[in-house]
Amino acid sequence: MIDSGFDRRDFLKVLGWSGAAVALSGCGNTSIEDGKETVVSYVEANDYMIPGIGVYFNSTCAQCDAGCSINGRVREGRVLKLEGNPDSAINKGKLCALGQAGVQHHYNPDRVREPLLRNGSKGETITWEKAYALIAEKLSGVQGEEIAFLSGGVSGHLKALLGNYLESLGTKNHFVYEAVAPGVTRAANVKAYGVDMPRYRFDKAQVVLSFGADFLGSWVSPVHFSQQYAQFRKGVNGQRGVLIQVESKMTLTGANADRWLAVKPGTEGVLALGIINALGMATGDVAELVKGYDKARVSHETGVSPGQIDKIAALLKLRSPSLVLAGSAAEGYAHGSQNAAAINLLNQVLGNVGKTIEAPVSVPFPQMAPSKGNTAALKLLNDGLAAGKYKVLFNFAANPVFTAPGAFKFKDHLSKAGFKVAFAHYLDETALQADLVLPLDSALEDWGTQVPEYMTEGAQINIQQPLMERLHANTRGMGDILLNLIKQKKADEYKGFEDYYAYLRGAMLQNKGALGGGGTDDDTFWNTTLTQGIVKLAGTAGALSAHVGAAGLTLPAHAAADEQYPLHLIPGVTANLRDGRHTNQPWLQESPDPLTTIVWDSWVEVHPKKATELGIVEGDIVEVTSKTGSVKAQVYLFPGIHPEAISIPVGRGHDAMGRYARGYGVNPFQIMDAVFERETGELAMHETRVNIKKTGQRVLVVKDEGSAGALQMGRKIAARVSTDQVDLSKEV
Amino acid sequence: MYRFLRFPILLVGLFLAVSSFAANNPQPALTTEDALGPQVVQPIEFPHNRHAGLRNPADPTNSDPLKGGMEINCQYCHTYARRSAVAGIPPLQKCIGCHQSIESVRNKPRIVELFKYWDAKKAVPWKKVHDLPDFVRFNHERHIKRFVEQQDRPVQEACGYCHGDVKEMTVARRQKPLSMGWCATCHEKDHPVVAEGGTPIAGQAYWYSFQKPVAQDKSAVVKAKGPNDCWQCHK
Amino acid sequence: MSVSNLLENWSQVRHAHPVDDKPHDPYKWAMAIDLDACTGCNACSVACFAENNIPVVGKERFQHGQQMHWMRVERYWDEDGREFPDQGFQFLPMMCQHCEAAPCETVCPVAATNHTADGLNSQIYNRCIGSRYCSANCPFKVRYFNWYDYPTDEMVWPAEMTQQMNPDVSVRSKGVMEKCTFCVQRLSAAKVTAKGEGRIVREGEVQTACQQACPTGAISFGNLVNPESRVHKQWEAQQVDLVKDKQEKDESDEKAVLRGYRILEELRAYPSVMYLERVRESAV
Repeated sequence: MIDSGFDRRDFLKVLGWSGAAVALSGCGNTSIEDGKETVVSYVEANDYMIPGIGVYFNSTCAQCDAGCSINGRVREGRVLKLEGNPDSAINKGKLCALGQAGVQHHYNPDRVREPLLRNGSKGETITWEKAYALIAEKLSGVQGEEIAFLSGGVSGHLKALLGNYLESLGTKNHFVYEAVAPGVTRAANVKAYGVDMPRYRFDKAQVVLSFGADFLGSWVSPVHFSQQYAQFRKGVNGQRGVLIQVESKMTLTGANADRWLAVKPGTEGVLALGIINALGMATGDVAELVKGYDKARVSHETGVSPGQIDKIAALLKLRSPSLVLAGSAAEGYAHGSQNAAAINLLNQVLGNVGKTIEAPVSVPFPQMAPSKGNTAALKLLNDGLAAGKYKVLFNFAANPVFTAPGAFKFKDHLSKAGFKVAFAHYLDETALQADLVLPLDSALEDWGTQVPEYMTEGAQINIQQPLMERLHANTRGMGDILLNLIKQKKADEYKGFEDYYAYLRGAMLQNKGALGGGGTDDDTFWNTTLTQGIVKLAGTAGALSAHVGAAGLTLPAHAAADEQYPLHLIPGVTANLRDGRHTNQPWLQESPDPLTTIVWDSWVEVHPKKATELGIVEGDIVEVTSKTGSVKAQVYLFPGIHPEAISIPVGRGHDAMGRYARGYGVNPFQIMDAVFERETGELAMHETRVNIKKTGQRVLVVKDEGSAGALQMGRKIAARVSTDQVDLSKEV
Repeated sequence: MYRFLRFPILLVGLFLAVSSFAANNPQPALTTEDALGPQVVQPIEFPHNRHAGLRNPADPTNSDPLKGGMEINCQYCHTYARRSAVAGIPPLQKCIGCHQSIESVRNKPRIVELFKYWDAKKAVPWKKVHDLPDFVRFNHERHIKRFVEQQDRPVQEACGYCHGDVKEMTVARRQKPLSMGWCATCHEKDHPVVAEGGTPIAGQAYWYSFQKPVAQDKSAVVKAKGPNDCWQCHK
Repeated sequence: MSVSNLLENWSQVRHAHPVDDKPHDPYKWAMAIDLDACTGCNACSVACFAENNIPVVGKERFQHGQQMHWMRVERYWDEDGREFPDQGFQFLPMMCQHCEAAPCETVCPVAATNHTADGLNSQIYNRCIGSRYCSANCPFKVRYFNWYDYPTDEMVWPAEMTQQMNPDVSVRSKGVMEKCTFCVQRLSAAKVTAKGEGRIVREGEVQTACQQACPTGAISFGNLVNPESRVHKQWEAQQVDLVKDKQEKDESDEKAVLRGYRILEELRAYPSVMYLERVRESAV
């Protein structure tokens, strides 16, 4: 337990650089070298700080917004490694590759270290006082509606503070943008279940039928789902759960499926209705709706054989409860909501709602609930920018110049904003367009609270606390910056808070009772909270609606292929790189893509059949052209993709950000058309059509698999057995 | 160019290797005499003898600060050694803890220097004296557990196995070779783990029961070697 | 010893063990990896980078096959020419198998790689002269050579990044071989604690970095001679015996119902890692 009455940061001071020096000199030093190295001791030390012994502090992972709790190993004042906090119901002591790489975000050599003011094409270092004064100056006399604030998903006290700041500016223009967010999923869930993010119980399901939901890779809360997946696979009494994945481009989840079905892009909804039809369990208007979706038609439209549809229907009937998921791949089309509605309908017909789809709980503080990032917000902002509506634009935790579809011409429109302020970790593409760049603390240096969108057992508020002192003297926490800015407007109201830490502590203590700390004194409550890193709450339970119906559900007729652009472009969202905000972390660059084993570069996935047709071999550089633009990248022959589609992973192709990101790969966002989902206005990420042309160049694909590809040469290396040949009931 | 030489050189090399093996000559004796490391210049010339040295028998009240020490236990300041693999250096706070109330030496140059660091809240940049190569994993805690806690040897003796007679030094200076061969001289010895009459020696018997006993005479003394695989000490 | 004598007693020479009358007492570290739980997500691999000061070599060196990931996730797909990989891929986390009769150990000209009493295959960096014979002789290709002096390379370890390095693990310089150690620094720390308390390391007291990170818990690691350990129970339930090069269950005529196996067992290297076959549903 941490003592009260002292400043944590003092105690996280670096014991000695000697630690790093020791590690560095490596094997070069083979003799005893007295008096060469310096060993610096603490000036003051607490009992728990013993040189050579790691101290673990609980905090929250900020690499994505799933809200995994982390346990940072700190030695001699430096954070060395992030591990999962076993007490968190979300990740239960586990942490994914992306989370592990959080230390490389913190120690990244390319972080912005000083406030920078644009001077021509250069950034000039200025002081924080000047930066704040400049913002005040630029805001003076500007109407509320002329101010826009673009941010990624925010939650917790930061969201509340940001809300207050925007209110003090008199603006309602808060655009919450996440390039790869489950925007359509939420809307479809509200329609089907009455809540936007129900709790999925993989562990209770006997069959999981997923339409493009990459829940093991990048969808919603992958570490949590992976744990549930492990339970689902173990099953009960050796009855192992069965995973069927339906998608046009294989995801990590698809690679783990018992049966992976390559459907024609966009026909996921048709297949769902076909399965309902084959089940023969539907009644009323649902039965009416699926009547037309007989096997022959569905098979023709989706490319899934009638026999396979029968098998799936039989399995779903036999093993209950099951869980049907509609993921981003099914929803990336203009008719995404309809696809999702059809898929969710399957859940209802199978009676899974209430069994494997449960009501979620939420934090009883709506002002702290996560603001749900989506892509529709970007369109609004982009339109506003194009019209020259904004005189001052703030940008935090979003990189739209990199992630906006090329058709948006976002960068051009951005230049019409009067004064652009970027709160940034790196000089990424968007920060480079800003007039004022304010350097942020890393997540391992900053205070904060985080409320995950996807809750598991009970609600929780996650605590983020510094694991070590600031690496660079002139970075600031986003909370501290906001507090300073809000004091420009409401000095009296906020004068009691010296810094964001004081604000946070005050706000938490104010609600001590509701946070489960009733009856304890302030210091005990606060210290317990920091020690645990999580505040667990009973939470408010949502209610699932029992509505089953097919009203308004119509799937578009299968469109004829566009002759000029015959292929679908599927942007691949990988577990490690997501939307590209962490590309400058070298572990993630060097960690091979699980499916293709490619590192440090982008690739175009082409089905071998299609490649033969086009005369393409692995390593050919092809030009991928859409209505919006074109990119050139190497080809990888990948059997896990529908021949009518190609896929390029997103996240690479930066031309700024840092040494590990810049110049590696291509950015498929650049050639994305501006097509929107009809009901939600979300960007339809899978609707871009392209053609590919050989350029005549060829490169060696840098990948982890050997030159023999992925073959075992008949040896028992990675072995597989089918369920009828194995008895799992006696396993440990 | 010298390609034609390669094969003969290889042959000569092989011959030398084989002959040296075959001759089975005893290795040159491992250095065990006390070698003396270089004099290390420290930011403050810390007098170990003054703190840990023996009291002046002629002056039991220790009234003359220039003569005799105060017999402070090594572990009073070097507290980390028994709790961690590395001994570390005591925090500055520890020095000040005593010295803020020792008025008699408050104005001595070394103490003035010490307080300068304290007032500036700056760490003292001590130089490492016993600096093992970075691929070595030496565990202070383990050795103190074994010698001081389990076998009840005097602290200064136990620390002295590797650090020499620090109580006689001002600024510490290396007295032992700290080479691998030197470490091995101790680890290779046959240590009694079960004493005469079959009484296990504190904390040892359980562990050494896993080692191959090298000797067991009629008095039922069991001896075994210390840990000796490479990864015990190399990291 | 004459050559014929040496050859006659070869197996005995190879199996010579530091505590030969009490093999692996009290520890024999071993692993079991459930390929049905492994999703191929790479968390283990990145955790290994974080724990063991592994250099990130960059694109060009990766192309030359100089990557250093001690823990790599291999991916295989079906070889029967089907149009789509409709039963998914095969993932295989591959790291040093810590063979009991390790082929790498016998070829090292300077004895830089040895067997420890705990059944680990050790690599002593300061002893290594970089002949790379061990790597050539490793059937699993899990030994990685430092072709460059990575610690001084600004792209690999800029000054800021060096602060992340684990002081419990040596940083390797140019010219030495390295590989998975089963996180020996963690084992060592746990053993010291246990020894101080006069007991052996308990089950669950020590985890390897990969095991700790694995979101599906596919990796179990522990002391094979401790009957309480999960690893021991798994090996036992799967009837895989460490000291056999052909398991009895594989020789029996009965239909295989157990999925434990060791890779390339027939090479008589006696690996300490047992894999559990991936399972695929036959009903769909």
